[in-house]
Amino acid sequence: MALSSALAPAAALSSGSALAKAMAIFRRDARLARSYPAAFWLQWVGIAIEVAALYFISRLVGPSPLFGVGGRTAPYFNYVVLNVAFVRFQSTAIQCFQQAIRGDQMLGTLEAVLATPTGLPLVVLSAGLWAFALTALQVATFLVLAAMLGLDLHHANPTSAIAFIALTVACMSPLGVLGAASTMTFKQAGPTNFIMGGAATLLGGVLFPVAKLPHALQIVSWLLPITHALNGIRGAAQGETLARLLPDATWLAVAAIVLLPLSLVVFNRAVRRAKIDGTLGQY
Amino acid sequence: MIEVVDLCKSFPTQFGLLPWLKHRGRLPRRTALRNVSLEIGRGELFGLVGPNGAGKTTLLKLIASLSIPDRGAIVVNGIDAVQHPMAVKRQIGLCIGEERSFYFRLTVRQNMEFFAALAGLHGRAATQRIAEVVKLVDLAQMTDARFDSLSSGMRQRLSLARALLADPPVLLADEPTRGVDPVHAEAIRKLLRDELVTRRGKTVLLTTNLLEEAWSVCDTVAVLNRGAIVTSGSPRSIAARFKRRLRYDITIDRLSDALLARLRAVGGVNLIEPESLDDGVALRIDLEPSAHTLTDLLRALSANGTLVRDLRSENLRPTDLFGEDEGPSDGA
Repeated sequence: MALSSALAPAAALSSGSALAKAMAIFRRDARLARSYPAAFWLQWVGIAIEVAALYFISRLVGPSPLFGVGGRTAPYFNYVVLNVAFVRFQSTAIQCFQQAIRGDQMLGTLEAVLATPTGLPLVVLSAGLWAFALTALQVATFLVLAAMLGLDLHHANPTSAIAFIALTVACMSPLGVLGAASTMTFKQAGPTNFIMGGAATLLGGVLFPVAKLPHALQIVSWLLPITHALNGIRGAAQGETLARLLPDATWLAVAAIVLLPLSLVVFNRAVRRAKIDGTLGQY
Repeated sequence: MIEVVDLCKSFPTQFGLLPWLKHRGRLPRRTALRNVSLEIGRGELFGLVGPNGAGKTTLLKLIASLSIPDRGAIVVNGIDAVQHPMAVKRQIGLCIGEERSFYFRLTVRQNMEFFAALAGLHGRAATQRIAEVVKLVDLAQMTDARFDSLSSGMRQRLSLARALLADPPVLLADEPTRGVDPVHAEAIRKLLRDELVTRRGKTVLLTTNLLEEAWSVCDTVAVLNRGAIVTSGSPRSIAARFKRRLRYDITIDRLSDALLARLRAVGGVNLIEPESLDDGVALRIDLEPSAHTLTDLLRALSANGTLVRDLRSENLRPTDLFGEDEGPSDGA
């Protein structure tokens, strides 16, 4: 053992910029994902199969004003491809944070991470960086393949699209952080993704327009963030400006503003509870 | 540097809604630490000795802000660990005793880069620092190996290297030589003693259940058993207090029945067990802790014209400190 090697003072030791720490978490997750090469590459094959399946299903359904925004007739393929692609952001938001916590519990790295001078919000929120970057890439692939099969994005409004993606992530992430708090407490991933995924399919307008639902369920649908997120994305794809999509944007923004601090408080309390009960290192 | 005052910690033994309702909101708890007080000075190598389940790891986790005490105070370098956990974490390097505290599918370098960034080290400084600490624990040749290819001892050494990344003034080392081969275990002890404490003036809190380890490197030792401090002081003073019997291994050139009888007749001799060797006889001897007994015994050997080839005293035994009948404790 090289005892003669001096322990030089860490000159560049700083309190650590949050950005550098977030990037370290991003790199960790990217490296871990790439360490499973088969799963990493197969996901792209899965996307191609999914787009092809939607294409053939959509040939059974004719164009309808229900699939467009503002009463304009649109093909079902446009409608369903955009919804199925962008609902991935919801799945990612709900899964990635609790998967990160669960993964650290299982690997025994949670205590090692929390022993560092890194704030809890940074630890939990940064776990979404790689996941959302990957999801964005998946959605882009989805859309490129769909465009090759006839998806029309010529009139898309990129500003509105980016704004709604950001709002979707900001609004859905707190739900994922709440799931992570539940994982911290109960040591298993909760059924949030299953519930939210099912709710999105049935009530969020992913496969069919919300207008086809009974009135009571339309009210429930309005309460779901995915409904507003998909409304906005479809509107942006058809060239609507952010001003025209303001009701949905406002709904998502308000929900994000309320839910984000709330979810961080709940997560903080879950970690505190684990520290009190001595269960931080348990899995 | 580290001050622990009247620290108490207990853990619930049951979880969930049904037990909570059954016990009307007051879940049964087991005590892990009871009124523990310690004071560790700057530049001191402090050993915390105790059997499995004594509460050693619990105490380290409390100091590292990974657990919250029921009662009591922890102050590290003047900072209250309960009130200001983030500030205390900047003072501490924690060498976790668990093997499972790294990302198995990442390499040593990738793991260290990650933890260096969380410790606040970036860029070239981080690269340089990682190279230094892995060299320090003799893992420089393993930096591109995946963590899951390392042996238990290597993982333990890497945990120590990680704790040193930020060059913290305080090192909490939880059984750092567990699972490590004797050569590297000795090197770790030298690293703690010579490099970190003597040369660098760091404060080290070392937990171990190996008495000889604590006795060989620590300035001060506290004995923790069933969540309470049994005694503390210098290794020598504790040995003097707790040695119930003095044990010696003496090798002599020959032993007759008459000599054996004479030796057994020496006052204060509890036990003599002879064992024949190729070139003599080994005697395992238990004596009462009296000032004269060993002298009387050696005098008897000398009077017989016996050649004494070797004499070794045995160190304090765990049972001297923890008792013969200690079962599993309720500590963590």
